[in-house]
Amino acid sequence: MLFNSYTFIAFFILLLLLHNKTSLPWHVKKFNLLLGSYIFYAAWNPPFIILLWISTAIDFIIGKKLFAEDNKTRRKVLLLISLVGNLGMLGYFKYGGFLLENFTIAMNAMGIDYHAAQPDIILPVGISFYTFQTLSYTLDMYYRKSEPEKSLLDFSLFVTFLPQLVAGPIVRPNQLIPQFKKPHTANGQQLATGLFLLTLGLFMKVGLADSMLSKSADSVFGATNHVGSLDAWLGVLAFSGQIFFDFGGYSTCAIGIAYCLGFSLPDNFRYPYGAIGFSDFWRRWHITLSTWLRDYLYIPLGGNRRGELRTYTNLMTTMLLGGLWHGASWTFVVWGGLHGTYLCIERLLKTKKSPTDHSATEQLNPMTPPEGMVTATASLAPAFFRKKSVQNFFAALLTFFLVNITWVFFRAQDFPTAGRLLESMFGLVKNGSAILTNLAIIKVSIVISGMVLTHWFMRNTSVLKVAQHLKWWVISIVWAAMLIFLLLTQESSSSFIYFQF
Amino acid sequence: MLPQHLVKAGLLTLVLVIAFVMCWEFFLRQKGYSVSYDDNAALWADKRKAVYQPTDKATVFIGSSRIKFDLDIPTWEKRTGQKAVQLAMVGSSPLPVLDHLAKDENFHGRLVISVTEGLFFSTRGREMPSEFIAFYDDWTPSQKASFQLNHLLESKFVFLDKDNFSINNYLSELPISERPGTYNGPDFPWEFDKTSFERQSLMDDRFMADTNLQKQVQNVWAGFAKRFRGGPTTGKTLDSIMLAIKQSVDKIKARGGEIIFVRPPSSGPYWQGENKAFPRNVYWDKLLAITKSPGIHFKDYPAISNFVCPEFSHLSPKDAIVFTEHFVRILNEKGLISGKQMALQTPHQN
Repeated sequence: MLFNSYTFIAFFILLLLLHNKTSLPWHVKKFNLLLGSYIFYAAWNPPFIILLWISTAIDFIIGKKLFAEDNKTRRKVLLLISLVGNLGMLGYFKYGGFLLENFTIAMNAMGIDYHAAQPDIILPVGISFYTFQTLSYTLDMYYRKSEPEKSLLDFSLFVTFLPQLVAGPIVRPNQLIPQFKKPHTANGQQLATGLFLLTLGLFMKVGLADSMLSKSADSVFGATNHVGSLDAWLGVLAFSGQIFFDFGGYSTCAIGIAYCLGFSLPDNFRYPYGAIGFSDFWRRWHITLSTWLRDYLYIPLGGNRRGELRTYTNLMTTMLLGGLWHGASWTFVVWGGLHGTYLCIERLLKTKKSPTDHSATEQLNPMTPPEGMVTATASLAPAFFRKKSVQNFFAALLTFFLVNITWVFFRAQDFPTAGRLLESMFGLVKNGSAILTNLAIIKVSIVISGMVLTHWFMRNTSVLKVAQHLKWWVISIVWAAMLIFLLLTQESSSSFIYFQF
Repeated sequence: MLPQHLVKAGLLTLVLVIAFVMCWEFFLRQKGYSVSYDDNAALWADKRKAVYQPTDKATVFIGSSRIKFDLDIPTWEKRTGQKAVQLAMVGSSPLPVLDHLAKDENFHGRLVISVTEGLFFSTRGREMPSEFIAFYDDWTPSQKASFQLNHLLESKFVFLDKDNFSINNYLSELPISERPGTYNGPDFPWEFDKTSFERQSLMDDRFMADTNLQKQVQNVWAGFAKRFRGGPTTGKTLDSIMLAIKQSVDKIKARGGEIIFVRPPSSGPYWQGENKAFPRNVYWDKLLAITKSPGIHFKDYPAISNFVCPEFSHLSPKDAIVFTEHFVRILNEKGLISGKQMALQTPHQN
């Protein structure tokens, strides 16, 4: 069920009462949470709950064996079984059609007349998220980073915990399982914080992504002909806002819901459009995925420990696979490739600027904010532009501009659409059609300007830190305004974009 | 560290929001507004699932907005003793829904297909039907439960009316000029189209009393006429549409289903334009001949041939009752429906 649905509100109230207001034993409360999580997931498509059980069973059993096993070959076989089990399900449901389509194209290119029936595969909601979550457990067992979980109930709840089950944050075993070991219920402060974050997340999703931006993005990306330059830019900017408010909104809801139940989840977004450079961007955007890729892909590939060339190769490989994780399409691979290229260029520039500074630790991209990289500091520039904060702001704007180029590939359904849109954006076609109304232009301009400025001014803080310093009645007015806006928006329950990944 | 004062803030927030909702609801009711349901995919899907009743229990209606206004569902149900399942969609072609029903092996009931030529014999107006059908096909248990809860709230609160009282609707009413090459969308007054839970569209009494509001909707139609100047569908495109309709109709009939076409009334310049653009022999007569199906054209029956539509295209609620009574009587007389014996009063016509 969707967070932005009446069903969830009713379900959540029941769950809150059962969890926070009863004196049931802790293991019964955990069982209730697990059952609630299965109901939450089954409300989409009940049969797919079996996949969750398979994933849970494979990793629980193999995790234990992996940790205990000393024989290297057997350990590798066990790891392989887990990888095949988890990635096999992901591969079939998410990439089955894509692989078949590309195989057919390859056969035909070789002159072999091969035609395959179109597979009718439904993608189980959130499969990429819970697969990565369970994989992190198995890999931790393989590398013996932590002890295997003894309780099937706690492990099942780790895989299935409803706030983050379908769209993250992707939680590590050591972030969540220890919280299940002792009773957690929400006190008044946690409950209020959780409800505040839930409101904020819904406001981002329903009030801004769905109500203000989605139609403009959909109409520009859905255009079958060239659109005007202004329309193309605004369509892409609208999508950049939509994807942030949609996904960031989901994560904020998830964190809020966890608080309401007495648990805490890691941050997934930290004002990414205030990022200065791309390593900074990836420290702020979908943080739990980028750190997952760093820890379980980039570093095992060698990270930056095996020379410059290998570092760049690892970086590109990680980002290309990160792109493919988002969807079974080459456009997502190009999206990942563009981000990989940006990261490589950024690293190259930084290395040239300070060749001795190789102390960067194992990060997805070990870079510090690239002052001087993207902003000219010519002495002839007016004093205003020589201020570091101003330079950084323009560097953030440049980063945002380049990120928007990547969103074209992320959102476009195919390369011809992406190509048309880029041509329109950069004025390579004349007489592109106008498709956005003046009202749509005003809405997108106001929301996106507000978003970029908010990200800039909030880049070193958080909502809860800011709330800490505000008068209680000011928070109340803002909170009520968001709720009233939600009530007046009346958008129907549309799915979150990241569910499809 | 969590903010200390959020509990206090949360309590005040609750008070503020409840106060706002009460004031807003009171204000709208004072202005004379009443409950109207969102005519969205969920409401449509709720009716779509009711098509599987046999012909003596229910009749399914598909079409565009006209049949939604013109069929008075309580009158139909009273006169026939059967349910009316309203699946028509405003501004849309019914052909995707016809195709969907034809492909549904479990549907073998009676289907009344309303014809509004500009949409029916056209490749336009298929977005909403496609979207609603996709929603119905993928309707999850969670969405079904949400629909029931939403129904409960919508039946109580006037302000829960997305088409009229949502932020985006208010924004669309701002005096912002139209950008060349784009379309701001039609500006229908609230009083024009209230939707019942059975998906019947009804004009409000104030719409009937206010000629300015009627004129506003007439201007919308005039705007549509200017905007869609492509002319009527002809030639191979028309042939392919006719063929698709025939195939769907044949499938339903082959399963024991019944098909009836109806051409509801329009009046004034709207009717003149339709009659001129879509000559009856080329479109209506050909449709009935190709599909070998019965049809009721309003101009063939004196009792329903001279309605005056307030905005040229749809019947007022009072006339909808009269039209429905005569429609049932005509169907009975033609042996197309076995309804209750009616003691028809002399209908009042405008």
